[in-house]
Amino acid sequence: MNRVCLARCATLLLAFLTMTAGPASPSSLETGDFETVREANRVLEEEIKLAARPQVYLLVDCSERVVLIKGRGVELYRLPIIDWRLSGEGPLAVVFRLLVRPPVVRPKAMPGEDPSSDPIDLHDMPADYDLVFDPALILAVAPPLSEQPWLWAKSHLREWWRHVVAWVRVTVTADQAALGAHLRLTLSEEAAQSLAWSVTDGMPMLIRRATSL
Amino acid sequence: MKRFSATRLKIVRGAFLALGVTLALAACQGGVSRDGEVRASEPEQKQGPRIEQLRARHAALQRQLSQRAPDGTYIIVDTARNRLYVKRREVVLLTAIASTGSGTILDNPDRPGAQWVFDTPRGEFAIQSKLANPVWVKPDWAFLEEGLDVPTDPLQRLEPGMLGEYALGFGSGYFIHGTLYTRLLGKNVTHGCIRLNDEDLRAVHRLSRIGTPVIIF
Repeated sequence: MNRVCLARCATLLLAFLTMTAGPASPSSLETGDFETVREANRVLEEEIKLAARPQVYLLVDCSERVVLIKGRGVELYRLPIIDWRLSGEGPLAVVFRLLVRPPVVRPKAMPGEDPSSDPIDLHDMPADYDLVFDPALILAVAPPLSEQPWLWAKSHLREWWRHVVAWVRVTVTADQAALGAHLRLTLSEEAAQSLAWSVTDGMPMLIRRATSL
Repeated sequence: MKRFSATRLKIVRGAFLALGVTLALAACQGGVSRDGEVRASEPEQKQGPRIEQLRARHAALQRQLSQRAPDGTYIIVDTARNRLYVKRREVVLLTAIASTGSGTILDNPDRPGAQWVFDTPRGEFAIQSKLANPVWVKPDWAFLEEGLDVPTDPLQRLEPGMLGEYALGFGSGYFIHGTLYTRLLGKNVTHGCIRLNDEDLRAVHRLSRIGTPVIIF
């Protein structure tokens, strides 16, 4: 009787395992909907063109919540996105080029002084800044409230002011394009500084939109 | 004989029970209905064949992108964290602590308004030269930085032993080379070149060849 019970339990367990077995964690593309896969393909098509040239580029993946620094299709560095928010109007399915990057205060080497005494460091980079791209897109980067309350508040105030200015401009000129697109990324302080360090003038950037965008 | 038949009966009953549980679980997941028909969710029914095409296209695009990666060995330099990696495909062959550009500026006294910026260039480059026992030809800024006059005799610019055993040029006068100042490895202190300790420099020299890609970010 006990052996029969044991056999039944084993069979039930086997059936359950058969049902639940599968890939450990299927990617969003395996389980994702039509739009998710289509968007991923669009980004890949653009990335293949970027990776054909000797350059470093950015991929902001809102779907996977990560900023990737890449070259030749190879992932060079990965910066996790804590949160993101998109507002305004403008095309997102294009290759953006960086026009304005955060200002960096460079120390001046004085003749006769040890040049290694005051080098620039990753921690000298700003953690709260705007990256301006062409076509019109502002990528606002700031650390989370929990890490840097002052920078977080400053960044929100700047965003609010930008909306006010854009709204006035749209009201006066009736030009909806004046709004522009605005992508806000919340990154850890270190990730924000890393991004500020790594961006270069004219750097290409792709955005993989989440399907909710 | 009778006992054997009873055992077989139990096995058959167990198998039917397992089948029933399997079907029930499948029904709960929306894959199989109570009638045993395979039923897809509403959007998948409409887009079934198309999403499969998209996934196939996705796999093809990923293969295409992976072909853009360097074929052989390549070098990655992370200037933010002062690390150098030698990789082949996804395999890391070497991880080294480096020193990269200090980011400082130096005014050129001979040309007002002009200045040198001591950054390591970012982007993709390639090894263009591999020198053994290189001799540093000190540029103007090296003298000015030390508070010295720029010499008129070119021989006074030569400084052997400063660059270590090897120097690997990757264009515009930038090199991966050795250093006497190993205590500064891991810091941004150079004039744009990439410094390594002797052992790592030997490994990079051994693993790279002319044309090896150098990706700096």
